[in-house]
Amino acid sequence: MNNSEKKRMNGEAEEENEEDVEDEGRDAWERTYTDERSWEALEEDESGLLQPIDNKAIYHSQYRRRLQSLSATSAASRIQKGLIRFLCVVVDLSKAAGEMDFKPSRMAVIAKHVEAFIREFFDQNPLSQIGLVIIKDGVAQSLTELGGSPEAHIKALMGKLGCAGDSSLQNALELVHDTLHKIPSYGHREVLILYSALSTCDPGDIMETIQKCKKAKLRCSVIGLSAEMFVCKHLCQETGGSYMVALDEGHFKELLLEHAPPPPALAEFAIANLIKMGFPQRAAEGSIAICSCHREAKVGEGYICPRCKARVCELPTECRFCGLTLVSSPHLARSYHHLFPIEPFTEVSARQLELSRVASKTCFSCRESLLTPGTNKAGPCAACTKCKQYFCLDCDIYIHESLHNCPGCESRRITPAAASVTMS
Amino acid sequence: MKFQIEEVTVYFPYDNIYPEQYTYMVELKRALDAKGHCLLEMPTGTGKTIALLSLITSYALAKTESPIKLIYCTRTVHEMEKTLAELKFLHNYQVKHLGAAAKMLAIGLSSRKNLCVNPKVSSAENRDSVDAACRKLTASWVRSMAAENPNQPTCEFYENYDRAAGGAVLPAGVYTLEDLRAFGKEKGWCPYFLARHMVQFANVVVYSYQYLLDPKVAGIISKEMQKESVVVFDEAHNIDNVCIEALSVSVRRQTLEGAIRNISRIENEIDRFKDIDAGRLRAEYNRLVEGLALRGDLSASDAWLANPALPDDILRQAVPGNIRRAEHFLHVLRRLVQYLKVKLDTDKVEKESPVSFVASINSDAGIDQKALKFCYDRLHSLLMTLEITDTDEFLHIQTICDFATLVGTYARGFSIIIEPFDERMPLIPDPVLQVSSLSLSLSLSLSLSLSLSPLCMLCLCCHDASLAIKPVFDRFQSVVITSGTLSPIDLYPRLLNFHPVVSRSFKMSLTRDCICPMVLTRGSDQLPVSTKFDMRSDPGVVRNYGKLLVEMVSIVPDGIVCFFVSYSYMDGIINSWNESGILKDIMQHKLVFIETQDVVETTLALDNYRRACDCGRGAVFFSVARGKVAEGIDFDRHYGRLVIMFGVPFQYTESKILRARLEYLRDTFQIKEGDFLTFDALIDVMNIELTDRNLNQRQAAQCVGRVIRSKADYGMMIFADKRYSRHDKRSKLPGWILSHLRDANLNLSTDMALHIAREFLRKMAQPYEKTGSTTGRKTLLSQEDVEKLGNNGAQEMLY
Repeated sequence: MNNSEKKRMNGEAEEENEEDVEDEGRDAWERTYTDERSWEALEEDESGLLQPIDNKAIYHSQYRRRLQSLSATSAASRIQKGLIRFLCVVVDLSKAAGEMDFKPSRMAVIAKHVEAFIREFFDQNPLSQIGLVIIKDGVAQSLTELGGSPEAHIKALMGKLGCAGDSSLQNALELVHDTLHKIPSYGHREVLILYSALSTCDPGDIMETIQKCKKAKLRCSVIGLSAEMFVCKHLCQETGGSYMVALDEGHFKELLLEHAPPPPALAEFAIANLIKMGFPQRAAEGSIAICSCHREAKVGEGYICPRCKARVCELPTECRFCGLTLVSSPHLARSYHHLFPIEPFTEVSARQLELSRVASKTCFSCRESLLTPGTNKAGPCAACTKCKQYFCLDCDIYIHESLHNCPGCESRRITPAAASVTMS
Repeated sequence: MKFQIEEVTVYFPYDNIYPEQYTYMVELKRALDAKGHCLLEMPTGTGKTIALLSLITSYALAKTESPIKLIYCTRTVHEMEKTLAELKFLHNYQVKHLGAAAKMLAIGLSSRKNLCVNPKVSSAENRDSVDAACRKLTASWVRSMAAENPNQPTCEFYENYDRAAGGAVLPAGVYTLEDLRAFGKEKGWCPYFLARHMVQFANVVVYSYQYLLDPKVAGIISKEMQKESVVVFDEAHNIDNVCIEALSVSVRRQTLEGAIRNISRIENEIDRFKDIDAGRLRAEYNRLVEGLALRGDLSASDAWLANPALPDDILRQAVPGNIRRAEHFLHVLRRLVQYLKVKLDTDKVEKESPVSFVASINSDAGIDQKALKFCYDRLHSLLMTLEITDTDEFLHIQTICDFATLVGTYARGFSIIIEPFDERMPLIPDPVLQVSSLSLSLSLSLSLSLSLSPLCMLCLCCHDASLAIKPVFDRFQSVVITSGTLSPIDLYPRLLNFHPVVSRSFKMSLTRDCICPMVLTRGSDQLPVSTKFDMRSDPGVVRNYGKLLVEMVSIVPDGIVCFFVSYSYMDGIINSWNESGILKDIMQHKLVFIETQDVVETTLALDNYRRACDCGRGAVFFSVARGKVAEGIDFDRHYGRLVIMFGVPFQYTESKILRARLEYLRDTFQIKEGDFLTFDALIDVMNIELTDRNLNQRQAAQCVGRVIRSKADYGMMIFADKRYSRHDKRSKLPGWILSHLRDANLNLSTDMALHIAREFLRKMAQPYEKTGSTTGRKTLLSQEDVEKLGNNGAQEMLY
């Protein structure tokens, strides 16, 4: 921006043009550094020397913390998890959502990350459903009914962006309560409120509503965008949810995604329940049927309810006619890993690795060397507690967050004794 | 937990202890060892009370050969209850560990109003009428009359107590006021007299400042306390004012009129008695000839108020002849009242020393100093003789005699000030102003009522705080003065004229910077803001203050408390905010509540304020820094996320009383006027901060979690005045606030403050780690830590 000014000032002095060009050149040269912001990757150590920040190590330690906290909650005994979740996402679109402290605005940031969240949520919880609610002008309105299709929700939300008026937590809770309290008892009722405002203008006593939600076993969590509010904290404490306030956009994303894996089941729900489910067949290519969800004739690309033979477009869902829950077996399989998470790997320091008798010093899964390139010294790595194999940090994260299976344990030859145990 | 401080085993009822509590105890123990007085400053919310109680009781347990008694003085009944509840918790812990050896008797003593269980008496509305109602039933002559005439009503509780006589004792334990009442009800004994009786035997007595400092009360209640006592004044940051008030009297026109009514009533009584029982007056006369010392044999229920002068100053002499006879005494009183009335009829401010005042009384009204000195006792004896029980009716004449006695007794350290009008608001045509057009979902009507300033007042002001407290320092082995703010700590020994063996200020150890003080010197337009006299009415300043609040309400959640320097300034600023629409902007975000001088109204406003904070609507409370109404109310947690202090709350410097006091301080103690004013103003500010951050624990049933929770509290303070950035003002703030006041926050404008506030609130909302083990700052010590400390010496590890 200074350049144009500079040019104007230098305009009269033609002979300086040459230098000007050089200036431009240096600016461009500088600009590459500006884009990279490489100085931010340096930090001073205690003696004042500059050290590169080990981003990988920081990232890994963050991940380890997350993992630890997750496993800490489910450590003692195997905790039941609510795999069939009915989540209402409440988005506060009151005046406060228009504030610009998150760029470009809170609203836009919320929308962006809710989209990512919805996809992640269905990825991790294929059997669950989401409904969207927005608060605007002091009233709450339901944007989408509970459903299993990510696209529908995202589309509805994007179409409704725009903020106005006050916010009312009570109205939102009432609406959510009405939606969720008719859910069958095996479903977990959850509410996630993304709250921008710092106050709530309610028509009545919000404390009563909170008690009502508690009685209906709604687990209400709030993510605040500006500061901690007492009433939100109270709500979360009463209903067993979590209350967090986002520091910045990155933190907000992190907080939001923490809600994607299923939470531990509430004690009241921890009774074994049999649920009737249907596994529909994929309709034959080119077959024409009237689709029960869109109410129009469609060709191919659908599933047929095993009980009433109605056609539905996507899974998982509930059959419109017979009310049967329709899922596919991969959905079930994908939900399964939440119940048997891999235990967190133990961290192995460089010294331990050098002392260990493993000869290869390579990562068990990707076969990359565990030694830091160049120095030939051992870098940090992780080891599985069961199979005692070593993994590099990248694989550690990949195994825990995506694969959900330990390659070391899976590839172990099953000894006869162990086999008999698994057989029985 | 249990640990050693030198040779004393300290029983501390929680599993963990803050490091500052530990050092506090060490210092306190040294003071006890030295049998001297001490001055300790430690921020509220760090568990000062429990540290004090636990050390002193443990000390008493360790030194069985010379048992010490703890006299714990609090400011309010509420604090008294809290202290007792804490003591109960501690006592249970000690009994659990030590068994029967730890037995102790601890009682709280309060007025009849709080202790009476007789339904007929306790239903009276204020303290004086409860006292009078009680006296009507329990005075010795009433009881002797009842012995002959069964229709005469008496108090059954008192009768039962009296019958049980020496058998009426409290078993060991800790008794809160509620416990005392329950015990009294169960046994059928009067709890008030039982408690007063047991005060001599109790190991721990908790009562109000007045019982020690006000000579009128102290003479009766605290007469028999042993020397081996530790006296604790908690929350003692304005103890000098309490001392001064105890010896100051103010007389208004209503008082004089009431006094005249009282005199005529006494006259009638005397006439009546002359007809029925002339011998009685005669007997009184004889008694007076022998001297006043005879009062000692009055029964407990008759003892009323003692002489307002200090015990050492009361002459053990016979009453002078000219007031021995009842009629003569009444004449003297009448003349005195008349004289005062003439004095009050002036239209200019006058200031006199007691000596010249007494001289002019002598020449104008013919009453000499000695007669004045005996006025109070003489009146007391007369009322006794006349068997008057409705003492609440006679407050006016008592005030006059009180005044006369003090004026007659003291020549130094006092002055008499006559103010024909209150200078602050000489011309207020209609002091009641209603802003009721503005109302939002919670009904709120702001009625800014100013009680009409009482016209014409004659004041006998005491300037020397050391007078009232001197007997306490002289009599008791150790006096502990402690509070959250005693800065600057060297001023107190001079004001109170004593030599502490220990005086220290402690910091609060925190795992994170949970208080964020800011000094705001400029508005968003970069113009300075201040409430300095020449600037305060500047519309720019008013607007900048308004803008600041409007911006703040939009980013701070829940409750905001605003303090103004005075009622009149608050009224003015709210008015202009209302006109310029700022108030409306504020109400878009939060409801507005205003403190008035009406107690009921303010209580209601506070109640609604809290509700609005609880339910998430958010609220702003406008208060006055020296307002008595909101004093002592906790604005903790979400009830006060932000405190804004608009201006520096100096005392009204043109006030004659303050002027006289400053002069006296300068002449006697060489304390500079400016120093004292700043000190005083800041003490007041800090007081607010304290009540705000007053993490002071309400809950009786407490656990260590509670203390931690209080440290988890956080809040911001904005000092909005350019004068706060000056070093001499700022340095008077207590250390624990100064340590959080970073240089970067010293000279802010509105938008910079907004930015800081936003960041701070986000940061504080993050989950809180309790022990601080990860940040490297240890704030909770376990048993082993303390043992280690004991070995290594506390200091190194702490700072």
